[in-house]
Amino acid sequence: MCEVALEFEAEAQRALDTASAKGAAYADVRFGSTRDEHVEVRNGVVAGLSDSESSGFSVRALVDGAWGFASSALIEAGEIDRVSTLAVDIARASRAVQTQRIELDLAGKFIASYATPVQIDPSTVSTGERVAYLLDVDKEMRAVSGVTVSRAWIDIWHTRKSFASTEGSRIEQQLVQCGSALSALAVGAGDVQDRVHPGTGGLYQTGGYEVINDAKLLENARRVGEEAVALLTADQSPSGTADLVLSGDQMSLQIHESIGHALELDRVLGWEANFSGTSFATLDKLNTFRYGSDIVTVVCDMTCPKALATEGYDDEGTPATSVDLIRDGILVGYMAGRDTAAAAHVSCAGVVRAEYWGRLPMIRIGNVNLMPGTAASLDELFDGIKQGIYMESNRSWSIDDKRLNFQFGCQIGYEIKNGKRGRLLKNPTYAGMTPEFWASCDAIGDQSTWVAWGTPNCGKGEPLQTARSCQASSPARFRNVKVGVGYGG
Amino acid sequence: MAVDFVTDDSAVQEALDSALRLSKADETEALVMGSEHALTRYTHNYIHESMVERNWQLSVRAAIGKRTGVASTNRLDAEGIASVVARAHEIASLAPEDADFPGLPDDATPCDDIPATYDEATAALPPQARADAVAQIVRVMRRHDIYAAGYVASRNDTIAVANSKGVRRTFRGSDSAINIKAIGETSSGYAEGYARRFTDLDPAALAEVAARKCVDGANPEVLSPGKYTAILEPAAFREFIGYLSWIAFGAQPLEQGSSFMSGKLGQKVMGDNVTIRDDFTQPQGLGMPFDFEGAPRWPVTLIERGVADDVVYDSYYAAKMHHVNTGHALPAPNAYGPLPLNLVVDPGVTSAAGLLAGVERGVLISRTWYIRLVDQQQTIITGMTRDGLFAIEDGRITHGLKNMRFNESIVEALGRCELASELVRSESHVLPAVRIEGFNFTSGTEF
Repeated sequence: MCEVALEFEAEAQRALDTASAKGAAYADVRFGSTRDEHVEVRNGVVAGLSDSESSGFSVRALVDGAWGFASSALIEAGEIDRVSTLAVDIARASRAVQTQRIELDLAGKFIASYATPVQIDPSTVSTGERVAYLLDVDKEMRAVSGVTVSRAWIDIWHTRKSFASTEGSRIEQQLVQCGSALSALAVGAGDVQDRVHPGTGGLYQTGGYEVINDAKLLENARRVGEEAVALLTADQSPSGTADLVLSGDQMSLQIHESIGHALELDRVLGWEANFSGTSFATLDKLNTFRYGSDIVTVVCDMTCPKALATEGYDDEGTPATSVDLIRDGILVGYMAGRDTAAAAHVSCAGVVRAEYWGRLPMIRIGNVNLMPGTAASLDELFDGIKQGIYMESNRSWSIDDKRLNFQFGCQIGYEIKNGKRGRLLKNPTYAGMTPEFWASCDAIGDQSTWVAWGTPNCGKGEPLQTARSCQASSPARFRNVKVGVGYGG
Repeated sequence: MAVDFVTDDSAVQEALDSALRLSKADETEALVMGSEHALTRYTHNYIHESMVERNWQLSVRAAIGKRTGVASTNRLDAEGIASVVARAHEIASLAPEDADFPGLPDDATPCDDIPATYDEATAALPPQARADAVAQIVRVMRRHDIYAAGYVASRNDTIAVANSKGVRRTFRGSDSAINIKAIGETSSGYAEGYARRFTDLDPAALAEVAARKCVDGANPEVLSPGKYTAILEPAAFREFIGYLSWIAFGAQPLEQGSSFMSGKLGQKVMGDNVTIRDDFTQPQGLGMPFDFEGAPRWPVTLIERGVADDVVYDSYYAAKMHHVNTGHALPAPNAYGPLPLNLVVDPGVTSAAGLLAGVERGVLISRTWYIRLVDQQQTIITGMTRDGLFAIEDGRITHGLKNMRFNESIVEALGRCELASELVRSESHVLPAVRIEGFNFTSGTEF
C-alpha cells in the first residue's frame, strides 16, 4: 500500500457532497474503467478479436435505512449531480415499503492504493503474437483426426477503480486478470464430446501474461484433441454407487456451488431468495453444524496470491482479509458485507463486489479455498479404492436453490480398479446432498497439487451480474457416492 | 445538457455517422446499444435494493478484405469515437484472413415494423412507481400472513446499427417485469409477468397467484423418484426448452454436427402437435425487426408439426451454408453463431385447466431452477423444481410436494406431450403450459 491520489477526487467529492446535501446518511461513489481484450480462434480462423473499454461512475446512498443506487457512463458535473440525486430519490422511494432498516457494520477510513502484482506486462505481448500462438495451438488440435471443432482463446482484463465514501475513505486500485483455454469438440458415432484445457473452462488468475504461459496450451493441445476423439467410443460411465476421486478443477466447481454460494450471507438472510436462492447453512448452524469430514477446512482468503478474486479492497472499501468458513469440518463463518454483517453480527469478508463501475456491489464468492491435505499424488488418492471412478473437468453443474441436492457431470472419467487407473469412461456424472457428500471426503491432495482455479463467469443478482471468483483446491477422494445419474442411474 | 445515448436519437445517429466517416477500413459497421435499466428488489416484505443503471456502447467492426476486428467503447465523444475506430482498424489488420467472411450485409430494404414496442411512461418509470407496485404485492402477502421476495423492473433500450454499405436501422423498446416468490414456513409459490407497457401488469393479481401457490403448498409431502405425468407451467416450460436455442436451433451447431437437428432436417423428431418458431412479430413477445448487424429479421419455423424444419442464420453462416440470411446475428464477435431470441411454441387445443383432466397421478411444476445440459446429442438436461411443486390426483391438484431433481431429454419429452391453448410470455419467449408423460424425476431434496 502507498500514498494515493484519487483519479477523480473532485468529482468524487462533488457526488458525496450532493448525496449528503440531499439527505444521505452515508454514500459512496465508485469511478471505474475497464478494458477487456479477447482473442479467439476456431478451426484455423480468428473467430473473435475484440478490444472493449468502458468507463463511468455510480453512487450508492443510504437514506433513513434504505439503499438507493444509480450509475451513468457520463462523467460530467451535471450528470454527477443528477445521478447522486437520483440515488437519494430511489432510497427515499424505498422507504415506502420498509419493515427493516439497513444498518452498516463499522468501517475504518482507508486512504490507500493497490495494484495486482504482474510479472509479465500483457502489453509486451502484441495482439499479433497472441493470434499466432493460438493458431499454433489450434493447428495442433486439428492435427488429431476426428476433431470437429477446435477452439482456443485468450482473455486479458484491466480494471481501474477509485472508491470514495462519506466516511473519508479514498482507495485507488489497478487490477490485471488473465485467462486462456483450448477446446476440442469431436462429433461422431452418434455422440458429441468436448474436452477443455486447463480445467473446466481455462486457467483464469490475477497476474500478467505469465498466467497465459502457465496454461501450457500448446503442450496439451494434441492430448486434449485425442481425448475428445477417444471419448466418442469409450465405455459409458457406470451407474450406481462408487468411490470417487475428483480432479482439482472439478473440486473447484464443487466448492463454488456447494460451499461458496451456500455461505454468502445475503443468501443466508434471504436477500437473494427469489433468484439465486437461499441457503441450508442458516445462522443457527454457525459453530455447531458439521459441514464435512474433519479434514475439510475452507477459508475465504481475499489476499491469496494469483487467485482470481484477489484485490486490495472490495467495492465498499473493506480491506482484503481471510475469513475461516469451515474449520475441521465445522461451519464457522460466512462471507458478509457491511449491511449483512451488521444484520447477523459477524465480520466483513471483503467480498462485496460489482461486475463493473455501473453495477450495484453485492456479496460475491471471493477466493474460497479448500486447504490442502496430505496425499502427494493422484495415485495416492487412488490407493485403497477397490472399484471407483476418477472424474476430471466439469461439463454440467446443477444444485437446488438451498444448495443441498446437486448433480455434476464431467468431461472425462477413468475407472479405478484395485488402486490403479483403468479404462476410459465417457459421460461420468455424480450426485449427492451437500453435507453428506463433504462428510464422505477422506483424502485431499497436498500443497504440491493445489491450484488457484478461477471462475470467470459466476452469475448472481437481479439484474444479473457476472463476477470472478476463485476456488483453490487439490484433487480429493469421496466414498460411496451416487454415480451415473442422468443416464439411467 | 448532457448527451444521452439512450433517448437522444440524433446523438445516436451522429455517433454512427462519425464512426463510419472516420473509418479507413474497406467495410465498417457501427452498432450503438444504449439502455437505462431500473429495478427494485424486495425480500421479507421490504425493499432492500433499488437501482437505475444507465450505460451505452459503440461497437465498431472493421473489415479489411477478409480480415475483421471489433473494438468497443462507451466514450462517445469525438476522441472516444476516433479511438475506437482506430483500434478496430488496427485489430482487423492483425487478423488472418477468414476465407468464409462474406462481407457486411447490404440489404437496406425496410424491415417489417412491430407496433407498440415503446411506451414512454414505462421507459421513464420513476422509482416511486416501482415502490408502489412492491407495496401492492406486500399487502397481498400480509393478508396471507406470508412474505415475498422478487423484483419490479422497467427498461428503456435503443439499438442502432449502420454500415458502410448503406444499411441503417434504429430500434427503441421499453419493457417491464414483475417477479414474485411468496414464502411461507414450509412452502413457496411463484408468479411472473412481462409487458412492454408497465400498466399492463397487475402487481396485486400476480401476488395473489404466488401467494395462493405458497399457501396451497404448505407442509409438502415427499415424492418418490420415478416417471410421472408432469404439467409444466409456462415459466417452467420456457426454461425446459430454452436450451434448444443454444445447442440446436442455430446454424453453428447444425454445421458442426452437434445439434440434434444435424442430418435430420425434414425428419420427424417430435410429436405431431409440436410447432416451434422464432417469431419477432409475435405481439406478446419482445421482438426486434432486425439483427445486430442490421439484417432484416424473418420469422423462422424451427419445428413444423414435429418435423425438423430449419435453423436461424446470420450473414456469415448464410453465406457459408448457402442459405438465406434469416437475420439472427448477435453483436460481433460472438462464439455461438446466430441464435433465436424469440421462441414461440404454438398453442394446443386444450385449455391449461383442461391439461389436468385425466391425470390420474402426476405433478404440476410452477418453476424450474439451475437447468444444465447433461448430454448435447440426446438433449438430456438436469434441473430442479422450485417455488410450487404440486401433486395431481384424479385430475385435481391435491397438495404440495418437496422439490425434485429431473433428468430428461427435451426432444424425447416433446414427443409425448400435450400443449395448452393459452400463450403466455415468459422472459423473451411466448409459449403455453405443457403436459409431458413419463417425466423423469431422479431424486428429491429436503424442502
